[in-house]
Amino acid sequence: MEPLELKKISDISFDANLQKYNALKKAQSDLITVYNNHIFRADAHTICLTRTLAETHKEFYMLDTNDNPVSITDPQAFLATLIARNQSALNTYHQLHQTLKNKKV
Amino acid sequence: MRRGVLLYCFNTPETAYHRIANRCVQLIEQNLKLPITIVCDSSTLSQWQPRPNCDFVTIDEVDRTNTKLSKPWYNTERHLAYDHSPYDHTVVMDVDYFCFTDKLLRLMDTDYDFLIHKNAHDVTDRNTLKYNRESMLDLVWATVLIFRKTDRVKKIFDTVRLIKNNYQHFCKLYRISYSNFRNDYAFAIALNQLSGFVDFDSIPESIATVPADADILTVNNEGMTISSMDKQFTLQHQDLHVLNKEIADV
Repeated sequence: MEPLELKKISDISFDANLQKYNALKKAQSDLITVYNNHIFRADAHTICLTRTLAETHKEFYMLDTNDNPVSITDPQAFLATLIARNQSALNTYHQLHQTLKNKKV
Repeated sequence: MRRGVLLYCFNTPETAYHRIANRCVQLIEQNLKLPITIVCDSSTLSQWQPRPNCDFVTIDEVDRTNTKLSKPWYNTERHLAYDHSPYDHTVVMDVDYFCFTDKLLRLMDTDYDFLIHKNAHDVTDRNTLKYNRESMLDLVWATVLIFRKTDRVKKIFDTVRLIKNNYQHFCKLYRISYSNFRNDYAFAIALNQLSGFVDFDSIPESIATVPADADILTVNNEGMTISSMDKQFTLQHQDLHVLNKEIADV
């Protein structure tokens, strides 16, 4: 491979990785949601725990992002909020990821 | 309960901070829709055009000896934010923090009386913001503070004032290698001391930070295009903290 071609490929990969890095950071930031006056991260862990607890409890306690206990009095509404936030963040990330995939060598 | 944003803006011989603040105000009006109070000196105030959504507090007794990145930097009055804020629930932010989202508004819908970021990341992915080897305590980022007026929060600001007045002592105590006054360290020390040298509540995300050596090519209502190391990229719909003060001219 010619050095110039190698540099070009390397530059394209660097650009794509930088954009992926920033898109992922943005997605992580977008996952932050507020419910019942507390901060949660609408990530897979929080969604799975909420779903699991909601199967057997009408009300339960969870920890917010600062490890403070929060009473979840309407699990279905909370779960809907988490899923909406999660999918909104990941849909944006997915769109950018698709663009990057097309750019990558 | 009255909510609002408090900004500190002091022009220096090298940087027209009011021009940076002007863009910051536009984005606050667009995305947070909160009233704004700007603390500045008379000479900076004379540069502002009247804005219906902004009130001004003028202070002229400002420490003008401090520097940051080898340039004059007068933003050392943040410890007075509790007294300067006319609001019950306040967001204090640097004028070079651009809110392209309403995220801070969401964070105000919580019971927390004081929130601050513990983490920031370099959007050029070069890890230029790692300061963990420069002191004995973890840095916080006083770029954005969200606080309510409570007795506990008053004590936080009183402690920051104590630290500011004895800054060299606290630098030695925490082995902080950067001896010029820095709000980030002052708040980190205050929170560390008041929380009994253990953990405290924070905003669970990292501030997207554009480093000082990155050029800002364009800015609009959605985001900005940045150039760094011959690479250009655009960041949109996320809040950004811009360290390159030449953004005043973009």
